[in-house]
Amino acid sequence: MTVATSQIPIKQEDMDGSLGINSVTQDQSNDLGNSNASSKSMLENNEQISLNEFERQKSNRNSAIDSNQVLSQVLPEQPDLRIIRRKITNYVGFANLPKQWHRKSIKKGFNLNILCVSQTGLGKSTLINTLFNKNIYNEENGSNIVNSTTDNLDKIKLEDDNNTISNEESAENTNTDNVSSNNGNNKHNSSNGNSESNQPNVRIESVSTIIEENGVNLRLTVVDTPGFGDSIDNTNSWEPIIKEVDSRFDQYLDAENRINRSVIEDNRIHACLYFIEPTAHFLKPLDLEFCKQIHEKCNLIPIIAKSDILTEEEIDSFKRKITKQLQEAGVKLFKPPHYELDDKETIKLTDELYNKLPFAVVGSTDLVVNGEGKQVRGRSYPWGIVEVDNANHNDFVYLRDYLVRQYLEELRERTNNELYENYRSEKLTKLGINQDNLVFKEFDPETRQKEDKQLHEAKLAKLEAEMKSVFQTKVSEKEKKLQKSEAELFARHKEMKEKLTKQLKALEEKKHQLEMSIANQMTSSPAQKKKGFLR
Amino acid sequence: MSTAAVAVPTNSVGISNLPNQRYKIVNEKGDHFTIMVCGESGLGKTTFINTLFQTTLKHQEPRRNNGPIKKTIDIDITRAVLEEKNFKLRVNVIDTPGFGDNVNNNKSWQRIIDFIDDQHDSYMRQEQQPFRKIKFDLRVHAVLYFIKPTGHGLKPLDIETMKKISTRANLIPVIAKTDTLTQQELSTFKLRIRQVIETQEIRIFTPPIDESILSNGSATEDNSAAIEHARQLIESMPFAIVGSEERFTNDKGVQVIARKYPWGLVEIENDSHCDFRKLRSLLLRTNLLDLILSTEEVHYEAYRALRLGNSNEENKDSSIPINTPARKLLSSNPHFKEEENALKKYFTEQVKAEEQRFRQWEQNIVNERVRLNNDLEDIQSKVKKLEEQVKNLQLKKR
Ligand SMILES: Nc1nc2c(ncn2[C@@H]2O[C@H](COP(=O)(O)OP(=O)(O)OP(=O)(O)O)[C@@H](O)[C@H]2O)c(=O)[nH]1
Ligand SMILES: Nc1nc2c(ncn2[C@@H]2O[C@H](COP(=O)(O)OP(=O)(O)OP(=O)(O)O)[C@@H](O)[C@H]2O)c(=O)[nH]1
Ligand SMILES: [Mg+2]
Ligand SMILES: [Mg+2]
Repeated sequence: MTVATSQIPIKQEDMDGSLGINSVTQDQSNDLGNSNASSKSMLENNEQISLNEFERQKSNRNSAIDSNQVLSQVLPEQPDLRIIRRKITNYVGFANLPKQWHRKSIKKGFNLNILCVSQTGLGKSTLINTLFNKNIYNEENGSNIVNSTTDNLDKIKLEDDNNTISNEESAENTNTDNVSSNNGNNKHNSSNGNSESNQPNVRIESVSTIIEENGVNLRLTVVDTPGFGDSIDNTNSWEPIIKEVDSRFDQYLDAENRINRSVIEDNRIHACLYFIEPTAHFLKPLDLEFCKQIHEKCNLIPIIAKSDILTEEEIDSFKRKITKQLQEAGVKLFKPPHYELDDKETIKLTDELYNKLPFAVVGSTDLVVNGEGKQVRGRSYPWGIVEVDNANHNDFVYLRDYLVRQYLEELRERTNNELYENYRSEKLTKLGINQDNLVFKEFDPETRQKEDKQLHEAKLAKLEAEMKSVFQTKVSEKEKKLQKSEAELFARHKEMKEKLTKQLKALEEKKHQLEMSIANQMTSSPAQKKKGFLR
Repeated sequence: MSTAAVAVPTNSVGISNLPNQRYKIVNEKGDHFTIMVCGESGLGKTTFINTLFQTTLKHQEPRRNNGPIKKTIDIDITRAVLEEKNFKLRVNVIDTPGFGDNVNNNKSWQRIIDFIDDQHDSYMRQEQQPFRKIKFDLRVHAVLYFIKPTGHGLKPLDIETMKKISTRANLIPVIAKTDTLTQQELSTFKLRIRQVIETQEIRIFTPPIDESILSNGSATEDNSAAIEHARQLIESMPFAIVGSEERFTNDKGVQVIARKYPWGLVEIENDSHCDFRKLRSLLLRTNLLDLILSTEEVHYEAYRALRLGNSNEENKDSSIPINTPARKLLSSNPHFKEEENALKKYFTEQVKAEEQRFRQWEQNIVNERVRLNNDLEDIQSKVKKLEEQVKNLQLKKR
């Protein structure tokens, strides 16, 4: 047995004097100076945990709201704020803002995208030309131009007729449309094919042009839908059209969500002219179905085409029937608003305009000489001349007021603020995007401060609890460790001492025996010697 | 059949009426406008706001406790819906606590910057919601930065703060308390500030001048007057202002808002005394729309792009709006940070104390071990000694 082994071994890591908190942060230094720094980094670590925790709680709260299916904007409780309300009698000048907008709008220019839907030959091209006083559609060889200017890309699309074109592709389509539509008249053609051959084949064609009047520019796009209602079975023939309207919304939604949105073109359909055949009976099921499908996606403007073949009485009763049918089907049309400054007369005229719907129109760009010897746009019959711009002959001027002169901007506003918004809300909800109504709050520094404080206190409490718990476990761990090594020390000592004592005792015993035996030897040795000698 | 709606020339399409439609819509809807004042403490920011409202609302009741204006400690928002010629404008004026009071004014602009960013952020998150017809918009359209009328130049703090602001909002520097500068001093001071702004490349808001109108010959009388006005505004920048809440009768016998000195009356709304009217004109009359649009189209878009670009690298061009989480705020309240630090310090100390205790304990263990080892060694040496003796005895025995 050697001395060295009798030392009581003590593990080094138990004896570094630190709480072992270092190991949390992987900081292995263990001198006193660093123990401060390392415990600080532990605290920071905890802080991060608590922040993450906070985020998680927040998202939990959100999902709790989701399960209640919030499908609208519900404003949270708003702070109670003092608002000064005052009418200003002296001149300050902010009332100038609408005028600044006036100026700005001229600089920016305007745009209008119209969708025209009708069966063949109801006078769409003629009416558009009449409305904008420009040969947008060349009557004689209109369809030729559409085909001749179709570029390769579109040809591919045309040949692809049998494959359903996806939303994205048609969005792309409208994109190319934009790029090429800057220089004057420009015809563009695309189609939405269907895989089944018995399905109606409705094509989507668009024409863009810029019209200037007294320094004001309007970029006009007319989207035509040849083929609508021409098949034997017109089931779902509105689908390609609805798809087109939707894809334009999608394209806008896309642009709106992009990081860079310095150039957003508005290609959404702002109004849909729906041409009703002048039958004087009822809206046909296809008419009604189409109106139902489209009226929540764009401003529907029903018009009775070629109304010069109906008498005043026939028109009146036809209009009444149509209005009733549309009302019963829940179809909503744009209603011109009353402005705060409108006088009684203006209000009356505004309502009258609305009551003219559906507009019974006549279109013609031909100039004829009327009874008073004036050159007018009209159609000449042996029994008289129908004047396009004569409100006593037809509703063309009302249509123009409604669509361009008075309410073009309101139609666009409604498209943007209501129709597009509704489309977007629905789409995003379907995509599973959650509404967080808490973000809709009037900012109030005081409330904000209170919230800040609450947040801070919660964070602090959490931080404290966490640090405390870490601290306590570490302390008790360390305590246990030390107690254990203490106990081990004593135990080992005891054991070794016992062993040694035993050893000692044994030695003493041995020594004693040896001494005894030597003593015995001494006394008996002569005899032994003697004995030896004897041997 | 009614004909009144039809009394327009028949051959025109009606496109020239579109700007009027826009006019009507804007007029009907009204608008909102938010300005913020900031700058060193005591430069008359709160006074300026009161002056602005008093000169705007001629019959503004006096402030309730008509004592001297107290130092602003927290961000304070005055909200008003003003109606002029049937046009309603909601005006939000944001008063901020002055900075520069501390020995170390590092980051004293933080609260202002945070406020501006917060509003952009809030608007962005509202815009991302599926249902968002009502939005609360407190995006700051103009920040008036108050410069101390030292007559020397701009301090590093001014420059730093102005730079920070100018990347986020329309910055309009103004010279505060101009009544302490003579005309000579003022014009040199203005020149100096303009130079610093130029060399430091601080982007300040200037009324845009549409040169195209002049060059393409489409200048109308109205247009050229507007351009001339814009030129004059630009020439007077940075605007020199004086604020006051008191009314006095001037030598023409007219009641005016002014500051009264034994040597004369500083009339706030007198163009030869200060630029207050020019500034108000820029804010509320001629450039309101420019301020609003550049905020929405430039500053807000820049903020949004930055946020979305940072947080969502992977789905950059998705059609799904990116629901951005709330901006993580390092709390603007320095007191909070202090409390946090105190808590951490407390624990650090506890840790230290415990570590001290353990060290002592460990020392005790070491001592004890030494003692016990000695004890063992004692016995061991006894054992050794005995072994020796036994050996000897054994030898002896042989
Ligand atoms: N009676 C009458 N005939 C009209 C009117 N408008 C157009 N027409 C005539 O109807 C025919 C067809 O007119 P378009 O304008 O080419 O009709 P469309 O709807 O564009 O035809 P598709 O493009 O082939 O579908 C032409 O002969 C026009 O002169 C109208 O108001 N009354
Ligand atoms: N000479 C002079 N004194 C002014 C002017 N405007 C304000 N004062 C005075 O300056 C003092 C401070 O004005 P405040 O409006 O409280 O200044 P502030 O910038 O809001 O100060 P903080 O809230 O601390 O940031 C008041 O005594 C005002 O009367 C001015 O144009 N000229
Ligand atoms: Mg046609
Ligand atoms: Mg103040």
